[in-house]
Amino acid sequence: MRTLSRMTGWLVLALAFALPAGAQQQPAADPDPIKTQQRRAIEQPGNNAPVWRNVQSGQPNYASIPGREAGVLIQPQARFPGQDAIATAGEAWRKFRNGPVTVYGGWLIVVVCAIIAGIYFVQGPIKVHEQPTGRLLPRFSVAERWAHWVMGISFCVLGATGLIMLFGKHVLLPVFGYTLFAWLSSLAKNLHNFVAPLFVVSLVVFILMYLKDNLPEKGDGAWLATSWRMFTGGKQPASGRFNGGEKVWYWVGVVAMCLVVSASGLVLLFPNFEQLRTTMQQMHIIHVVSAVLVTGFALAHIYMGTIGVEGAYGNMRDGVTDEAWAKEHHANWYQDVKSGKEAAKSGAAPQTQH
Amino acid sequence: MRSIALIAAALVALAGCMEIEQTATPSRQGKYQGKPDSTPWSNQPLAAGPQWKQGDRASWEEQIKKRQLGQHEHRRIYQ
Amino acid sequence: MARMKFLVDAERCIECNGCVTACKNENEVPWGVNRRKVVTINDGVVGAEKSLSVACMHCSDAPCMAVCPVDCFYRTDDGVVLHDKDLCIGCGYCFYACPFGAPQFPQAGAFGLRGKMDKCTFCAGGPEADRSDAEFKKYGRNRLAEGKLPACAEMCSTKALLGGDGDVIADIYRERVARRGVKGAEAWGWGTAYGPPPKGAAPAAAPAGGKS
Ligand code: SF4
Ligand code: SF4
Repeated sequence: MRTLSRMTGWLVLALAFALPAGAQQQPAADPDPIKTQQRRAIEQPGNNAPVWRNVQSGQPNYASIPGREAGVLIQPQARFPGQDAIATAGEAWRKFRNGPVTVYGGWLIVVVCAIIAGIYFVQGPIKVHEQPTGRLLPRFSVAERWAHWVMGISFCVLGATGLIMLFGKHVLLPVFGYTLFAWLSSLAKNLHNFVAPLFVVSLVVFILMYLKDNLPEKGDGAWLATSWRMFTGGKQPASGRFNGGEKVWYWVGVVAMCLVVSASGLVLLFPNFEQLRTTMQQMHIIHVVSAVLVTGFALAHIYMGTIGVEGAYGNMRDGVTDEAWAKEHHANWYQDVKSGKEAAKSGAAPQTQH
Repeated sequence: MRSIALIAAALVALAGCMEIEQTATPSRQGKYQGKPDSTPWSNQPLAAGPQWKQGDRASWEEQIKKRQLGQHEHRRIYQ
Repeated sequence: MARMKFLVDAERCIECNGCVTACKNENEVPWGVNRRKVVTINDGVVGAEKSLSVACMHCSDAPCMAVCPVDCFYRTDDGVVLHDKDLCIGCGYCFYACPFGAPQFPQAGAFGLRGKMDKCTFCAGGPEADRSDAEFKKYGRNRLAEGKLPACAEMCSTKALLGGDGDVIADIYRERVARRGVKGAEAWGWGTAYGPPPKGAAPAAAPAGGKS
């Protein structure tokens, strides 16, 4: 019954979104609330409306105890995207985090996993059409591999611990019970806090190292337009060292989203720079929204880099790839390596290993 | 089209189920809202201090109400 | 069923910070944490200065409770919002969400890492055994289990701060306002909220009598 009435409540709320906002009327600002209050004390003693307006505005007043925002009685008002009413900032933040962020974020992760599972079980992994030649080409240098794995592993730790803190209450807590789940969450929070700086540093190193080969090229658009064929067993268009999809992941996922996640996360990680609650609420929302999006993106990347594409994982693990794989997936790069153009670019002699 | 609308409706409906219920329900076997804690009236009153019958909620509430009214100086002083 | 609340009378609070001190003493709260604070509006302005004492308001629909990722809060049968420090992970979400800034944290290491959250318990302790040492160390005194009210309200010298069942203390306050000789409409500011009374209505009575 209760669920039902709450569902009705949400439907009403959904309807309310459709109504024009700004139904509330703000009283005209009082130019000098102190004077008004002094006058009130004589004309209408007991009516302290100017003082209460001050309290509600969230502006700091005097408090003899030290502390950031100690003089703020009630947080200032705020409204997050999609909210139809203005509320105390903390309450607005709670509604946004517990509402759309948790619900749609959770579904995003579930849907991405379902799509990946669907592709894997229906279409199967993408295979190399030709037999492996046994001739290996160097694909990633040791430094590149380290940069990738330090970032990747710290990303996975941050992603997993972040998911525990956002969804664990709904998913794990009912299974684990309070004590075990609190222990796990505490571990998650501390890991999240201490792995984060490592991630930020490795992210910057990674972005710089992989920048050159991820600059947009002519064939990228064509690759993006026709690459879906590889999922149905077809051939994909030729591409350079990185194809259009990898470049989208690099620029959108790694550069844009991860930098946003890192920057907003740093604001939350060091609360000792006098940032106020309002800032932290906003940064938290930016952090969580971009983190959930990039996690969904990363799931796709992890799939393509492990079980989704035959041979892809070994490339990043060992740094070398088979000629057949290179010809299949990065035909232009293969040509460059073979012709020595790639070596001239990177300065390393192409070597063939057996 | 229909299925998209259904999925959208389901999502909206699900959104209503996210927060954990917070109503103050009466104790469930001495547990407060799912976490174990004892009630104030289940304690033995201190020798020097307000008295009530151990385990009797009504008597504890009665004495705490008296104490609350002690904050009312109009009643305390002028009566 | 009682629902415990605090009420502070802006006409009476003299900003003596006695409640803050009483709380710190009674509960031996951690360093850097003030469960209660007094805020003064228009500080030092004659005729416009008002002070208010604030701590956790034990909200009926508590934002702190709703956002805690480990769900460590609970509400007692008296409507007091308590939390379990054994579960708390120090994420600070309750502090973001609380309108009144009630949840606070002792600093616990590098990076401004937060320790276990500490907040006003309405002098009702926590999930440890009532009146035990463990409860006192983590949450402070359990005065409700001693049949008493919160120390801050009970010692307030001007009785500006009232604590107890919402119905009871609201009645106390209502009677107090009535005795102040301020007619309800002026005291509560209906005129401000709903505009001046229609023309021809009886004019508001002049304030009579002193302050209570
Ligand atoms: S900590 Fe803040 S949000 Fe939680 S019950 Fe107290 S006043 Fe309400
Ligand atoms: S700091 Fe503790 S009590 Fe507050 S939300 Fe986080 S885990 Fe819950």
